[in-house]
Amino acid sequence: MAEEDLDRQAIEDLVESASRAIAGSENLDSLEAERIRYLGRKGELTKSLRSIKSLPAEKRPAVGNAINQAKERLEALIEERKTSLSASFVEEEPYPGDFTLPGRSGFSGGRHILHSVMGEIKEIFAGMGYSIAEGSDVELDYYNFEALNFPPDHPSRDLQDTFYINKDILLRTHTSPVQVRYMEKHKPPVRIIVPGKVYRNESPDPSHSAEFLQMEGLYVDENVSLADLRNDVTYFIRSFFGQDASVRFRPHFFPFTEPSAEVDMSCFSCRGEGCQICQKTGWIEIMGAGMVHPNVFRYAGYDPDAYTGFAFGMGIDRIAMLKYGIDDIRRFLTNDLRFLSQFWSEREMGE
Amino acid sequence: MKVSLNWLRRYVSIPEDPEVLAHDLTMFGLNVEEVLPLSPAFEGIVFGRVIDVVKHPKADKLVLCTVDTGEEEPLGIVCGASNVRPGIGVPVAVHGAVLPGGFKIKRTKIRGEASEGMICSEKELAIGEDSDGIMVLDFEEKPGADLTSRLGNDDVILDIEVTPNRPDQLSHFGIAREIAALYKRPLEINDLFGLDENDPFDLSIEDCEDCPRYSAAFIDNVKVAPSPPWMQKLLKAVGVKPINNIVDVTNFVLMELGQPLHAFDRDMLENDSIVVRRAKEDEMLVTLDGEKRELDKEILVIADAEHPVALAGIMGGEETEVTENTSRVLLESAMFEPRLIRRARQRLKLETEASYRFEREGDVGITKLALERTCRLLEEMGAGNPGPSCRDLVADAKRLEKRTVTLRASQANRLMGTHLSASDLASLLERLGMASVASDEQIDVEIPTFRRDISQEVDLIEETARLYGYEMIGHDTSASIHVFTARSERDIRNNKICNYLASRGFAEVVTTSFMDPGDPERLGLEQGDRRSGALKIENPLSASNSVLRTSLIPGALNVVRRNLASESEGLRIFELGKVFIPEKNNKGLPDEELHLLAVLAGNSRPMQWLEQARMFDFFDMKGELDGLLQRFGVDPGALEVLSAGTAVDGFIFEWLSDGQPVAEGGKISKKVASRYEIDDDIFYFDISIEALERTVVRSRYNDVSPYPVVKRDLCLIAGEKVTFADITNLFKKRAKFLESISLFDYYRGGRLGEGERSYTFRLSFRSPKGTLDDDIVDAEIEKVLEGLKRDLKVTLRSE
Repeated sequence: MAEEDLDRQAIEDLVESASRAIAGSENLDSLEAERIRYLGRKGELTKSLRSIKSLPAEKRPAVGNAINQAKERLEALIEERKTSLSASFVEEEPYPGDFTLPGRSGFSGGRHILHSVMGEIKEIFAGMGYSIAEGSDVELDYYNFEALNFPPDHPSRDLQDTFYINKDILLRTHTSPVQVRYMEKHKPPVRIIVPGKVYRNESPDPSHSAEFLQMEGLYVDENVSLADLRNDVTYFIRSFFGQDASVRFRPHFFPFTEPSAEVDMSCFSCRGEGCQICQKTGWIEIMGAGMVHPNVFRYAGYDPDAYTGFAFGMGIDRIAMLKYGIDDIRRFLTNDLRFLSQFWSEREMGE
Repeated sequence: MKVSLNWLRRYVSIPEDPEVLAHDLTMFGLNVEEVLPLSPAFEGIVFGRVIDVVKHPKADKLVLCTVDTGEEEPLGIVCGASNVRPGIGVPVAVHGAVLPGGFKIKRTKIRGEASEGMICSEKELAIGEDSDGIMVLDFEEKPGADLTSRLGNDDVILDIEVTPNRPDQLSHFGIAREIAALYKRPLEINDLFGLDENDPFDLSIEDCEDCPRYSAAFIDNVKVAPSPPWMQKLLKAVGVKPINNIVDVTNFVLMELGQPLHAFDRDMLENDSIVVRRAKEDEMLVTLDGEKRELDKEILVIADAEHPVALAGIMGGEETEVTENTSRVLLESAMFEPRLIRRARQRLKLETEASYRFEREGDVGITKLALERTCRLLEEMGAGNPGPSCRDLVADAKRLEKRTVTLRASQANRLMGTHLSASDLASLLERLGMASVASDEQIDVEIPTFRRDISQEVDLIEETARLYGYEMIGHDTSASIHVFTARSERDIRNNKICNYLASRGFAEVVTTSFMDPGDPERLGLEQGDRRSGALKIENPLSASNSVLRTSLIPGALNVVRRNLASESEGLRIFELGKVFIPEKNNKGLPDEELHLLAVLAGNSRPMQWLEQARMFDFFDMKGELDGLLQRFGVDPGALEVLSAGTAVDGFIFEWLSDGQPVAEGGKISKKVASRYEIDDDIFYFDISIEALERTVVRSRYNDVSPYPVVKRDLCLIAGEKVTFADITNLFKKRAKFLESISLFDYYRGGRLGEGERSYTFRLSFRSPKGTLDDDIVDAEIEKVLEGLKRDLKVTLRSE
């Protein structure tokens, strides 16, 4: 490569770096500094112009021409940048004059309230050694009802209004089908939680939704007892709602557990005195639970004499509503950001 | 189930305070949903005798009454009722009285005449429905006597949630039985009328499966009249309207014992016979509610010699209804197959107190006893002469045998986590009236016929747990060893992805799993697209929610519309959720694929003073996608990107790995957006989580080189057909020691030729083994530049 070309290359490189510096200058002051750096009396391009003298005479016009062109280009760029910077709302100052002006920010985002509540609950159970199992939303009637000890044409099926795809296929009404599916594939001990969406054919109103999140728990081993169920459930409720929560078990009926219980906790709002939230009872229904029914073990292929186990299930929407004092379940699926964004911060919320 | 406390007191003593009983029952498994005192809140209502009635001088429809209320002077009261007349006793709300609902009575003037109180109707006192006229009292009292306790009903109603496994609790006696067990109190047994079993009545049952037992009693010399006040009061308390003595007594026994009964006018039965059989196709029956019912062979009926006279277990027929002219009654007390009743109830859409109980399987042992109870009551009431005989047809005798279930103490303790002995357990069960034989370890328990729900050991364990008290269990030690298993990797990763997007300023949304059947077409999906055919719900809530979503996009667009309409000038949202792609091979279950959809719409930054507003563009979306892929462990540059079509002014690209699609993304066309009523530009990407999981490769970390970096900036000019990826790939492939390559300027037009583009790259070179010489770096660059020039006709700008 000829010496002349090298000089031209050098000029071109200089223009490149100057262009970048000009484009990158954030205010008029720094732009002026860049102008001085390249085009000033002692600027780099000016220096190059001066060094022409050392070139052989025949090369001087060509190089000189290139340098002048470069100078024109840069001056144009500086003018352009100056215009654009002047158009900014406010000229920045080296020291933040009015430091009460708002800081620069982008959009803020966050998890959906249902999923952050679900996440918190998962963390608690993960700490107790539960792993996570998931199932499908579209389920066979067999797993949703029959294998869970809901006989065909039995009134216990009226407990859950169901969406059907056809007579054998439906949208799961609870996460419990995963119990049987999981036990079919795994030997005891089993210690799982099952989060997921479930469906009920109910017209939406403030306390009913056709789809909501549920979480199921299942623990099966050789000697699991009702006492263990109480321990795990109490641990969860106190971790989630506070150490001073009292928990009570009430006998109830679910086809797939026996003995079965409804689990209540003392109302966190009135501390058991009786208020709107607990409907003046002092207690809030929080989940259903019980010992896995031997028939369910039989369907899953476990020997009911060899193993015992417990299961529990709760509605995540309901728990979120209780914890944050939300009065309409339909808000969750409406996804109004003015609602969702209130639950992004870590501050304590609730009634 | 509505339960009257006064009614319960007929069989068992109960706590004074209804709230205490409600709490104890709830903790015993009979969830009391409401405690409802019947007596309405009124005060200041006294007995008044009407002395005189004259016309109101200024109003035709009003009268002036003079009423003696025990005061020195009788009161003058203006009244609008037509049935007020001198001599009758009436309830009077005097000055200061409070009516139900808190309405206070004051002295007033009505059309110019003084009115010093109010004569009340049943409705005004909330003790009846009658508002036609004032209430005429059918008892005597001293004028001025307070009527609160005479008129009010001091009963309290408990609304108890009865679970489907416990039909034995669907009666007052059944609840009393539970209370007796709960408080260890004795149970009063009812008076019965002895009935022989040898009546020659012509009764037959076609199929013993359909009807295991049918008992019939016969009443002669029937005198249809109102039932006694005490019975009417109890029936009204639990919401049953009194009709006449025959109907009322059957309802009373239904509510008392839980056994549905039906009274036929015996003289209306053809050939004086009854057969329990399936209906024939095209048979009809007009039921008591006046509806004409079309029957079929899935429906069980009670028929006479000619045609059906009742829907078995659901409702009687109009033709054989007991009327004022009835003189002979046949009383039916039977047991029917629950599934048949359920199906008929669903098909005919006719649910009754009887069908509700039969569906839950009644007590086969009680049918005759219920008749004996009814006959005793009818005789006491003088409603007729019950026959000394009855017809009791047990078609399936096996059902009457008492079951024995064995309970092992070890198993009970194991399941409950308790330390109870066999005799402890036996004495608990005894409280429920279950006789048992206990050895050291084992108890053989005889199960009464009304407890059909107890068929195996665990059912007995539940009963013992309930009697022992759930609250007594679990406070000491735990018997089991906990197993600890790891949390699923997928769950952890998905959670991290969501948290990452949230901190990037995306709001997580959760939308419905349903979509409108028109959504695929609205999105412009082609016929062959796997997302175009969605799974239909047989019984949807509404047409717009009648299929399962095959894409997260419609739900997200609805969220975008709603939020842009409210106040946001721009938004970033994402959803991690399932889509349902129909699949023939998996028993008809769809493929449930987990997808991640992110959407950017409107302004790219919130309006603020430091910068000017700009709309989101394609590269905002792509930057987020690339960042996310990197988080996943996928090099975005290693994926192939293909144009997957354009629509009007929208465009879609597909990201592929080994030829398999991993993500799609682009701009929603104006046409599609307008179908969702959105004006703004919307950019999105949609990742298949399963596909991405297959793409992720585990890699080892690279050691950090301690040697300096050598940087070079290059300005390249490329023709129209050459892409950024073409150039960078060539560098990555050819240039040794290349650590990174980044683009920091790009432009078209200006001094460039038609179609030409200028890219300015910054290249960083580094060796893990030593400091790189400029020569080596220059040689590497030169090598690539030659390749660029040869293969892609890309040249240095300075050339």
